[in-house]
This record gives sequence, structure tokens and C-alpha cells, in this order.
Amino acid sequence: MTKTNIKDLESKSKWLRRTCFEMLLSANQGHPGSILSQIEILISLYYGGIIKYFKNEPYHPDRDKIIISKGHAAMSLYPIFADIGYFDKEELKKFGRSDSMLKLFGNISIPGIDCTSGSLGHGLGVGCGFAYSAKMKNAKINTFIILSEGEMYEGSIWESALFASHHSLDNLIVILDRNRNIILGDTEDCLALEPIKDKWASFGFQVEDVDGHSIADIIDTFNKFNKTNDKPKLLIANTIKGKGISFMENKSFSHYWSPLSDDLIKKARLELTIDE
Amino acid sequence: MSNFQRDIIIDEVYNYALKNKDVFFMSADFGAPALDKFRENLPDQFIHSGISEQHMIDMAAGLALDGNKVYVYAMAPFITLRCLEQIKCSLAMMSLPVTILGVGIGLGYADAGPTHYLNEDISVMNSIVNLDICSPSDESSLKFIAKQTIDIPKLRYIRMERNSLKNIYPNDYYFNKEGFEIIHKGKNICILSTGYMLHKAKEAGEKLLNDNIDVSIYDVINIKPLSNNLITEISKYEKIITIEEQTLNGGFGSIIINALFKNGISNRTVKCLGLKEKYYFQNGGREFLLNDSGLSSDSIYETVKNL
Repeated sequence: MTKTNIKDLESKSKWLRRTCFEMLLSANQGHPGSILSQIEILISLYYGGIIKYFKNEPYHPDRDKIIISKGHAAMSLYPIFADIGYFDKEELKKFGRSDSMLKLFGNISIPGIDCTSGSLGHGLGVGCGFAYSAKMKNAKINTFIILSEGEMYEGSIWESALFASHHSLDNLIVILDRNRNIILGDTEDCLALEPIKDKWASFGFQVEDVDGHSIADIIDTFNKFNKTNDKPKLLIANTIKGKGISFMENKSFSHYWSPLSDDLIKKARLELTIDE
Repeated sequence: MSNFQRDIIIDEVYNYALKNKDVFFMSADFGAPALDKFRENLPDQFIHSGISEQHMIDMAAGLALDGNKVYVYAMAPFITLRCLEQIKCSLAMMSLPVTILGVGIGLGYADAGPTHYLNEDISVMNSIVNLDICSPSDESSLKFIAKQTIDIPKLRYIRMERNSLKNIYPNDYYFNKEGFEIIHKGKNICILSTGYMLHKAKEAGEKLLNDNIDVSIYDVINIKPLSNNLITEISKYEKIITIEEQTLNGGFGSIIINALFKNGISNRTVKCLGLKEKYYFQNGGREFLLNDSGLSSDSIYETVKNL
């Protein structure tokens, strides 16, 4: 990936971040903290050549699968899906309205959403089903799962991790959005999750960590994953909750949308200026 | 092969899976002689999920979303209540073609104690949208249900016995599509039951007949969705009795009463027989515990006689 290309993708990130903000603002509800923390991850996947998709064909049988297991953040896929022709861009303006096909949480009625999500801890198990099925069909299809670190508290995640490793599901790529903040504060104060890398490695995953806001690093690390080592992959993306809006960054309260004053809306828009 | 319910249905699924590579059978470390054959001959279509019912259900969703038909299999208490949220969020919300095979309903695992009894699955599973509840009472009705899972794949929960049940229907019996069968047609009084307890109802009915009390016996095979024609049919009776190996809150009897009221039928005498509102730690075996709860055929006979 050249520097120019990275610059383009960074520009794209600004577009996605701003678009998500405007959608949340217009709906006056949603989960900005974990939506904004995963922007560069999604841009790397869809515009950095990592995930295989087919423009205008959300149900193409050869597509890679994606599950945003932390379903409250799934809406950040909608602008990308509109951009790659899965549905009309006009739909984005209706987000949060009663007549909108785009829901607050992702579900399979929305073109591009491969699995309904919302309750934490299910995505990895469903992803094991996708990955296992692809292997049985000898299909070259990868399954990408974005987990929040909060999901590591759910026991079902570890049931699925055991399974993925035992069955050498190397077509399963998990991205852990490590923004450190859960609703009541820092994970390490609430109930420590570290050492995260060791935990996943001991479960048989190939683990890498990365600055989750550096597109160049994310793409390089994806490319570094050894594709023949028979292990499921885990990318720890170290991110900032609420990234891009200074008054939301690293703030647990940014988990939920709160109505914003005109001054704060102005400030956020200024910080989220899109490159011309 | 044994005539245990689990072997009967696994054999049906095995024959189906032999010809269809998109059929998967998952077990949370629960076995059967028929499953040994499946594992041996179709290793790629058998998946051991570990003793991880939550993962098993989530993974079944992934397999089903990718176009496969999936059977998940475990002891009944653990494949229902333990992973209820997975059943709701991963299977029911996406309405996926997965068959949940729960073995050992009611007090079937006596004397293991209340962790291994499933006395509330009708109530709990009835609350899950997009899910059918099937309750076989013998080999033929189980085979009929197995065929439905193949012909019309959808989300179903099948309530299975730990062991075998005596035959009620002949091998070539034609089951109607209504989801209930009339075992005996009497007058004035009808008894509705399902599964193991249907046999108790039948025995009680035979004893009552000796006293010239001719009660109708209905086998409710599809508890959910419940046939409206069943309700129309039973509304012809003055007295309606339901029998279940469940605690009564929200159970089989509640479902029947709700359906009667929904159909504007509120002036019948309805008696719901079921387990006591307690956890059963007492030893003594299933029959002892049923007797203790007024659910032996003799107790049912007495209850109906004194109604």
C-alpha cells in the first residue's frame, strides 16, 4: 500500500466518521463511543483490500462474511454498504426513522449484514459456523468478526474460541476493538481483562496487536498473518472510544448518545471536517 | 438398534444426511448408539461442540445462515434453559432451520434431582417467537415429527424421552397436519396430554371406562403452534382436563386455557394437573415422584371421577 493510498483511506475514514456522526445526530440515539473507535478497522477491511466483496451484490455467494458482534456498533457499516452499492445512499438519511430499513442494531434484513447481532458474546460462535461451513465446502471464504473487549466477559466467547482453535479455523479472523472503556469505566478497574494477548494465544489463536487507528499498521498486520499456520487469527486493535470527537474520546459516557448542545454539535463538526 | 427415542430420530436424520451433505448433527457431548454410527460414517457432518450448549446454538446459527440444515442435541435441561438467549437471538430472531433435540424432559432423569429435570420447558420455550414445540408420544409420532424436520425445515424444539415409550399408534398410522390426534372419543369430558403423560392419561381413561365414564383422550403433538381446530373440538366438552409433567405456571394447561379464552370459551370446567411448585430432591424414581404429585394413572382416575 503506497503512502498516497493510505492518505486516501485516511480521507475515507474522515468521511465515514462524519457520516456516522450525522446519522447519530439525526436519529438522536445510538452508540457513538464504539462506532467511532472502529472506523479505521472498517475502512481497512473494505477499502484496503482485506475483505472480499462484490459491488452491488450483498448476497454474492463468494463474499467474505462479516459479523459486528457488538451489534450496537453495526451501523457504521451502513455508509460503506451504501457506498459499495448494496442499497441506495438516500437510505442513510432515514436512519433511526420508523420508515427506515436501517436499524440501530444490525440485522439480516439489511443488505450486507450477515448476522443479526446485539446481545454480546454470540458473534464468535456464529462465525465458527460460517468458517466451518466454508471449510466443508472447500470455499475460499473468510469470516471477519469484530468483537468488543467487553465481550470477553461472556463465557460463550471462550467456548467458541476453544472450538475455533481445535478445528484450525484459519479462515476466521477476529478483530478485538480494545478501546478499554465499558459502561462503568476502564476494563482494568472494573474487572481486569489483561493479559489479553496471552489469553487468546493460549487458546490457540495467532495474535497480533496494532494501533487500531493506523490504517497502514492495520493493513500491514493483516498481511503479516501467516495464512498457512492453521490457526484462527486475532487482531487486537488498540483504539480510543469516541475517537475523533474530543469531548467523547476515552469517555465511558460516549457509549450512549446524549443530546448535544448547538455548541457541541458545531465543535464536533469542526473536528470531523471532511477533506475536500 | 434400540427403540430409545434418541436412536429413532438420529437414525432418521442419518438416512437424510447420507444423501445431503448440507445436513449437520451437533452434540454437546451427548451420545446414543445411533450417533456412534453417524459419527463413524459421516464424520464431516458430525460436530462435537464440547459441553458448550451456548456455543453449539450460536454455531448452528452460522451453519444454518450458510445454507445448511442443523440438528443440535443434548440433555433437555441444558439445551433449553442454559442457552435460551442463544436460541432467541441466534436462532429465533433469524428464523433459522435448526432442530433442537432435547432428551430427558420432565422427571425423566429421576433420581438425578432438579438440575437434570426439565419441568418448565413448555412454559419457557412457548415464549420464543418463530419456534415450534413438538412433543412425540411414541415411535410413530416421533418419526412423523422427524419427517417434518426434513420436509419443512424450520426452527423446532423436540421434547424427547430419555428412554422408549410404548407404542400408541400403529406403524402405518397417518398423522394429520393439525398437530393433534384423537386417541379415544368419549363424551362430556376430555383429557389433553402429551408425551409420557399421554400414556398415564390413556391408562386413566381405560380405568374410567370400566366405571362407565367415557372420556375422550387427545394427544397434542404440536404444542406450538397450537391448532385452532383443537380448541374448537374441545369446546364441545363440558369438562376439560390437561395433564403435564411440568410445573403449571405458563405450562401446557395454561396454553390450553389461554387458547380457550382467546376463542371466547370461558364457561367450561377446566382442571390442569401438573407437578408441584417445588424442586424435586426426593429419591424414589419417576413413578414415585409422579404419584407424589397426583400424576399417576390412579390419581388421574380419581381426580376425573370426582370432578
